[in-house]
Amino acid sequence: MRNEIELEGIIEDYLNGKLSETERTAFEQLRKNDPTVDHKVVAHKVFLESFGEYANVLDLKARMDRAHAQIDVETLAEELKPHPSFIINIWRKNKAAIAVAASFILLTIVTVYSIQQNTKQIGSVELMSREMAKIKKSQNGLIRIINAKPGPNVPNYTKPANFGGTGFALTANGYLLTNLHVVDGADSVYVQDNKGDSYKARVVRTDSQYDLAILKIIDKSFSPLSNLPYRLKQSGIGMGEIVYTLGFPKDDAVFGEGYVSSRSGYNGDTTQYQVSIPVNPGNSGGPLLDHQGNIIGVISAKEKQVDGATFAIKSKYIQEALNSIPNDSLGKKVAFNKRNSLQGLSRNKQVEKIQDYVFMIKVYK
Amino acid sequence: MSNKLSSSVPTDREVVLGILNDSEDALNKLYTGYFPMILQFILNNNGDEDDAKDVYQEGIIVLYNKIKGGNFELSSKLKTYIYSVCRRIWLKKLSQQSKKTSNISDFEDVMAVEVDLEQHEEKDKQFDKMQDALLHLGEPCKTIIQDFYINNLSMQDICEKFGYTNTDNAKTQKYKCLQRLKKLFFQV
Repeated sequence: MRNEIELEGIIEDYLNGKLSETERTAFEQLRKNDPTVDHKVVAHKVFLESFGEYANVLDLKARMDRAHAQIDVETLAEELKPHPSFIINIWRKNKAAIAVAASFILLTIVTVYSIQQNTKQIGSVELMSREMAKIKKSQNGLIRIINAKPGPNVPNYTKPANFGGTGFALTANGYLLTNLHVVDGADSVYVQDNKGDSYKARVVRTDSQYDLAILKIIDKSFSPLSNLPYRLKQSGIGMGEIVYTLGFPKDDAVFGEGYVSSRSGYNGDTTQYQVSIPVNPGNSGGPLLDHQGNIIGVISAKEKQVDGATFAIKSKYIQEALNSIPNDSLGKKVAFNKRNSLQGLSRNKQVEKIQDYVFMIKVYK
Repeated sequence: MSNKLSSSVPTDREVVLGILNDSEDALNKLYTGYFPMILQFILNNNGDEDDAKDVYQEGIIVLYNKIKGGNFELSSKLKTYIYSVCRRIWLKKLSQQSKKTSNISDFEDVMAVEVDLEQHEEKDKQFDKMQDALLHLGEPCKTIIQDFYINNLSMQDICEKFGYTNTDNAKTQKYKCLQRLKKLFFQV
């Protein structure tokens, strides 16, 4: 018993490295010679290591408990525990998924929207009648208010606003064609030829379906024109055909050239061509002619925000509009020349001849 | 919340150096710094505050052993490591209680920690074995052993504390206790 205790003391000292050099060598010799001693050494080593481990963990736990005591667990738990609200819980748990879904939806919307943008001509059309002296009008408006102030009995002084467009002769005796939106709501209409002579005119017929209006010059000073140089082309015209127009975006006639870019108009309107041609407010109602001098349409509108998208009413519908008008209301049947005297002429000769038949329409509203 | 959390958290380097130097302060900072994260995870996954404490302490022990083992490389953020370890431990506990472990709410990134945990489980078994053995050992043996091996009391101190007539008696007593403890430990 005593020996056993002694032996264990030595083993412990040996494992802890407390033995002196000679004692250690002697003990190692003993270990070699006596397997039971060796076994005891190994077992004790394993035990001491395990026990040390145990002690360490115990110590760590104690220290952690002290640290734990510093934390206000209840308040924290209150803050961090699952929210009673189902929705907020879902949100907390699935933040990432919700974010992905949301961005997917957003992307889809953007894609669909842009596809729609591409397939549909969005952008409003701007009718090409010219609103003249718009600034003047607003100034007049101011003047009127000032004038009106002194007394209610002062008569209202209004100066008519001036609108302008273009028209062209349908017959030699003074029937003109223009856009309905040019003369719509007009108090009086005057037309001015390229020499600068003004004639009073009257709206004799309107066709709101195709936006067309027929005017008759009623001024006594008007002398009938010579035979019309152009004719109305009945058949359609192909894409890429070179076309030109003459109009009055300013007080002098302006020539414009372009090509038919599409056989349908705004939003696929089949009664119109889409023409790539520079036009400005005032070009409305102007004739659109092909290179042979045939009238193939009437300039009516252009698309805002889109370059070179002008729309012209097809000549077929001009004829239809004319046909639908009872003969008696025009006094005399409107008939275009069968012959086209412009055919084969150079562009400037054509324009020279045509310009006598193209009028500026001045509208007082 | 996460801002508040990160402001009170020590840097990873501080923690590793602190643990290697057995700094009490470093442990405190580490412990209080990351506890809310684990508490949130446990509370949101079928656990309560006590579960959080147990799991978190176990996770810290794993981290401690890894750092102390000397083969700790900071390949990821300490936060991610602690979270992953605690997450793994809690999932295991849940499955042991045969509670569902699907649909776990996660709050942080997760990394692979399986190898570390296997080592930890081995050590944990040893710890439980030792605890059991000591429990079965009974008094006064348990206290004598603890005083000698953990509190590093000398034989003289133990002799006085337990009222033995001389140190030889104390030594004999301690020897007997130790033999029984070894027997209990190795047989369990």
